Amino acid sequence: MVRQSWWKIAAVVLLMYTLLAGLLFPLKPGVLEVTPNSGRTGEEITVEITGYNSFYKKGEDSMRVWLKLDEARSLKARKIMVWGDRSMEAVFSIPEYLPVDRRVQDFSLIIDNDIDGAVSLPSAVFITQDSLDPEMGERVWVNDPIISLSADTGIHFPFRNILAETIRNTYFHVPLWFAMVFLFLGSVVYSVRYLRGFRIDDDQRAAALTRIGVLFGVLGLITGAIWAKYTWGAFWSWDVKQNMTAVALLIYFAYFVLRSAFEDPEKQARISAVYNIFAFVTLIPLIYVIPRLTDSLHPGAGGNPALGGEDLDNTMRMIFYPAIIGWTLLGYWIASLVYRFTRLREQHLDLV
Amino acid sequence: MQIVREIIHLFSKDVRLEFRSSYAISGILLYVFSTIFIIYTSFVQVQPQVWNVLFWIIMLFTSINAIVKSFVQESNQRQLYYYALANPTAILLAKILYNILLLFLLSVLVWGAFAFVAGNPVRQLGAFVGTIFLGSVGFSITFTFVAAISAKADNNATLMAILSFPLVIPILMTLIKLSANALGLLQDTAVDQDVLILIAIDLILVAMAFLLYPFLWRD
Repeated sequence: MVRQSWWKIAAVVLLMYTLLAGLLFPLKPGVLEVTPNSGRTGEEITVEITGYNSFYKKGEDSMRVWLKLDEARSLKARKIMVWGDRSMEAVFSIPEYLPVDRRVQDFSLIIDNDIDGAVSLPSAVFITQDSLDPEMGERVWVNDPIISLSADTGIHFPFRNILAETIRNTYFHVPLWFAMVFLFLGSVVYSVRYLRGFRIDDDQRAAALTRIGVLFGVLGLITGAIWAKYTWGAFWSWDVKQNMTAVALLIYFAYFVLRSAFEDPEKQARISAVYNIFAFVTLIPLIYVIPRLTDSLHPGAGGNPALGGEDLDNTMRMIFYPAIIGWTLLGYWIASLVYRFTRLREQHLDLV
Repeated sequence: MQIVREIIHLFSKDVRLEFRSSYAISGILLYVFSTIFIIYTSFVQVQPQVWNVLFWIIMLFTSINAIVKSFVQESNQRQLYYYALANPTAILLAKILYNILLLFLLSVLVWGAFAFVAGNPVRQLGAFVGTIFLGSVGFSITFTFVAAISAKADNNATLMAILSFPLVIPILMTLIKLSANALGLLQDTAVDQDVLILIAIDLILVAMAFLLYPFLWRD
């Protein structure tokens, strides 16, 4: 019993782990807002910084704030006033001239203290130069190098400005899609087996796997739409990835229509196996090739990496990969129940 | 090569059958002209953007109507006779080739008729002819295979539409982009990439059709 269903136990354990860890671990501290986010040269500007998940009060003694121009050059805050854990003010004196020949220059904000570790917000403050003189700027520039940053302690997910807490959807939306492809793959394997041996239960397994694959696809589409609402601004923005996904699901809905068009079980099995293989082969260019070649908002399009780089750090990997395995195993489990239900119903209908 | 000879014979059989009966082709022609007539009377002035989309929509429905007959115009007994004489894949390939020819002629015809009533916005002639050729190939492969599937179920037309529309959408979207380029509507630098996508999709589909048809034809 245990030996037979170890993978079901694994599915439950992995999913419990990903649900708990994925939803409970806090995000890294971040910067939500900097006001005002613009200034002029020669001014003394006071910016109000709103933090997220940060502990400014606790880390007040070791607090340092910089405006970073590039890798080598940065300005340190002259004065820092901490109002609370989530709010503080920093005063910067901007020199008369900047060592760049752009009229408007963006600065990143870097905050560092012992409790939160180093936190940055790219393009936080824009400085407009009254007159351009890069050489003069080079001479008056007083560099405060960013040194001895504190390390982040504890288990956190990365803080991304647009994503914020929705980053946790990585453990639902993405693994559901992975699981869907694995389910469809399994279904194709059974369809091929059916065409080699013509055993009706191979086809029933294929149908059950496709059914659950479509269910996961719909769930993936819904979670994706919810994510899109919070990051792109609308549930459905006619993005190429969303369109192709919808088309892919239509292809598989057609599979069920095709199945129901036949009375004879042998003919039904044979023709739906053929269509299933055909559909899977067209699915791959549909969701993995075409969106990558056209412009899309979705990661993984227009040359963007889908996963990797800064988007998926090691803490997220620890939950992301188990989530894929967990969802896939759960999918196979549901599919095996559907298959057994089909068998039982058939046997009982035969008896009657 | 046995299979090439079979394909040539079957292909010429299909062409001759079409000319003799001329029922199918005249039906399609009537369909094309009445569609274009309706479009002309409702639009009168057709912008190039709209021209492009309407052209491909007319082509889509014309192709479906032309191809749905592939496997049902001849009686089951006669088809059984063909299967006894020739390799089933040769029958499928001959049908695909014949449909490519038919669809290419039909698209030239639709283009001509459309140009006659709504003007001809095509700027790059070669690119547009290439696009409609690629379109005929893609439509022909997809629709012929789907027609083979839906011929096995008796409610042909509905099933044909349900099965083939989602499959053909990626091809259609790439085609509309390519022909927009030929119409000078957009300056696309990645034309070869789109052409490659189309050829790749066509190759995948024809390979799958070739592999799977032996399981399909038998009753």
